[in-house]
Amino acid sequence: MDRNQIKKWLKSPGKMAHKYSLWAIYFCTGCGIIEIPPVITSRWDAERFGVLPAPSPRQANLFLITGYVSVKTLKAIIKTYEQMPEPKYTVGFGSCPINGGMYWDSYNTIKHLDKYIPVDGWIAGCMPRPEAIFIAVTHLWTLIDKGMAKGYVKYREQYGRYRENQEMALGRLEWPPLFPLKDEND
Amino acid sequence: MINRLKQELESTFREISVAVPGENGITVVASPVQILTILRFLKDRGYDHLAMISCVDWIKEDSLELVYLVSAYLTGDNEYTGREKITVTLKTRIPRKEPEFPTAIPVFENAEPYEREIHELFGIHFTGHPRLIPLFLEREYEIPPFRKDFDTREYVKEVFDKIPFVENKE
Amino acid sequence: MVTAFGILEIIASPLVALVVGIFFLGLFRKMMARIHWRYGPPLYQPVIDLVRLFHQRGFSHGTLFDLGIVVSLAGTVILVLFVPIGGMCALESSGGLLVILYLMLFAPLGIALSGGEGANPNISIGISRKLILALSYEVPFIFIILSLMSYYRTISIVEIVNAQSNFHWALFSPLVLSGLAYFMILPAMLGLRPFDMAGAPQEISSGTAVEYGGKYLAFSKIEHALALFIGIALFVNLFLGGGNILTFLLKMLVVFVAGVFVHAVFPRFRIEQATKYLWFWPTMISFVSLILIQIVR
Repeated sequence: MDRNQIKKWLKSPGKMAHKYSLWAIYFCTGCGIIEIPPVITSRWDAERFGVLPAPSPRQANLFLITGYVSVKTLKAIIKTYEQMPEPKYTVGFGSCPINGGMYWDSYNTIKHLDKYIPVDGWIAGCMPRPEAIFIAVTHLWTLIDKGMAKGYVKYREQYGRYRENQEMALGRLEWPPLFPLKDEND
Repeated sequence: MINRLKQELESTFREISVAVPGENGITVVASPVQILTILRFLKDRGYDHLAMISCVDWIKEDSLELVYLVSAYLTGDNEYTGREKITVTLKTRIPRKEPEFPTAIPVFENAEPYEREIHELFGIHFTGHPRLIPLFLEREYEIPPFRKDFDTREYVKEVFDKIPFVENKE
Repeated sequence: MVTAFGILEIIASPLVALVVGIFFLGLFRKMMARIHWRYGPPLYQPVIDLVRLFHQRGFSHGTLFDLGIVVSLAGTVILVLFVPIGGMCALESSGGLLVILYLMLFAPLGIALSGGEGANPNISIGISRKLILALSYEVPFIFIILSLMSYYRTISIVEIVNAQSNFHWALFSPLVLSGLAYFMILPAMLGLRPFDMAGAPQEISSGTAVEYGGKYLAFSKIEHALALFIGIALFVNLFLGGGNILTFLLKMLVVFVAGVFVHAVFPRFRIEQATKYLWFWPTMISFVSLILIQIVR
């Protein structure tokens, strides 16, 4: 570690620690999960970046949404995302969360994940190679450094709009709102 | 073995047509009222495994076709099943408008998830089914999604593309 | 009488234990990575994890949820004060081995307290496994401590350490069977494979830690580091004659590396297999050793 790094550590240790200890929740969302086991085991070692699989959403701070998102999966994703402690980062993995991908005209998948939960970065590909995951992690480090990875703040401030979109896609939601909703016609 | 079964079927039921397209299978086409009797007939003769129930939408002929795939799970080596794996394909046609059909659960109990799937995707109502709730889908559809007159692109434009991005809302 | 040096020892003991424990956690991950033929995280990775966990805003389920983890951490920190580290021991004239026997159970009981409030069935499964495991290894542990107490005729650990100076280690005396039995139950006390079913990430979503986020998980990890330190330090003090601070740390390193090698190759036992094993072989060996010690003395 050179002097620059040590100065950054002393100025904002929380930010630097978030960069180098991203625990990804091990939630196998879609077909892209097949690319994750080689990344976290011996072949392309992700532990040297500090990325570990976390077994519970309460212990994690990175959510990788790998592959397509059907309407039933969206329910589980929202429930998991709301359980994670803040600050948290989301990365859309593959081309299906970006704009629907291969399932662009399907009756049961959602096309743009950005309308329902905030996403900080995207990785293109179907499926991306493990090297692309590492490039995405380093890009996420740069974003965290500059303070641009503020998805969770957006979720907190515009929760009413996100919840409207979620209700449009899923029908009635069984869980209460995470943040108190403002009534507009008060 | 196959010919023996073919003769038995043709002699027991009328208005049925049996074909032997190859070494390992029999195709039987029957009318809707005979299906449960034929299933019970096959089960009594050693074919005790219902592999799948499927459905085909013949929109030009205005009918839905139900397909039952029955086979002997362990080749029983009796006079009907023989040593190789023989699959009996049982087909029937029902009209496309408000389709109804009796359930196959009294004969084969594992028909329950297949009939739930066909109900949510094709719209066939199975009378006598204890739990006819959706298996995979979460939303409501006016036309069941697997029918050929369901336009997926229109549905996507109507439902999913109308949901606005969060930045564009005001 | 409380002297200034005594207060210094009371403050310094948990700090030394914390530093050494966190170093062991980092060394553990690095060694496992190298055994798997891959590079691992840097050695100071647990420090980064702890800073990140303190920076996150965890979620609390209620007052008892907060209190439980505090009780568990407090019990472990107090236990450190009774264990001699190198040349110093903070509370040496207060009970020794008997106090350690009952203070060791504070940690799982504290976590059980908070597990009742966090309404997750995984916590109950994890804590029941932890307590059954504690029940299983306490039986040979008591036989070992009885043999030690009757051989050296004292309950103070500092006197046992002083009686082993100049390479008269307990491992080379008639207590060798007890030492062997202690080494067999050491993975169970530390939570290493094959006995790490209490906090299994793959089976029960890490058992007791499944609802901990943010600072609660940080406390849980600190408690784990301290428990690791205490388990190995006891073994080194009682059987390998811990000397001054440098020899003591070197001996702890050797025992820890041996434990990591065992952890790397074994799969995980089920809880009934663990109980069956721990109540048979180590119990028998330590019982035979107890009878031997009575005959010899």
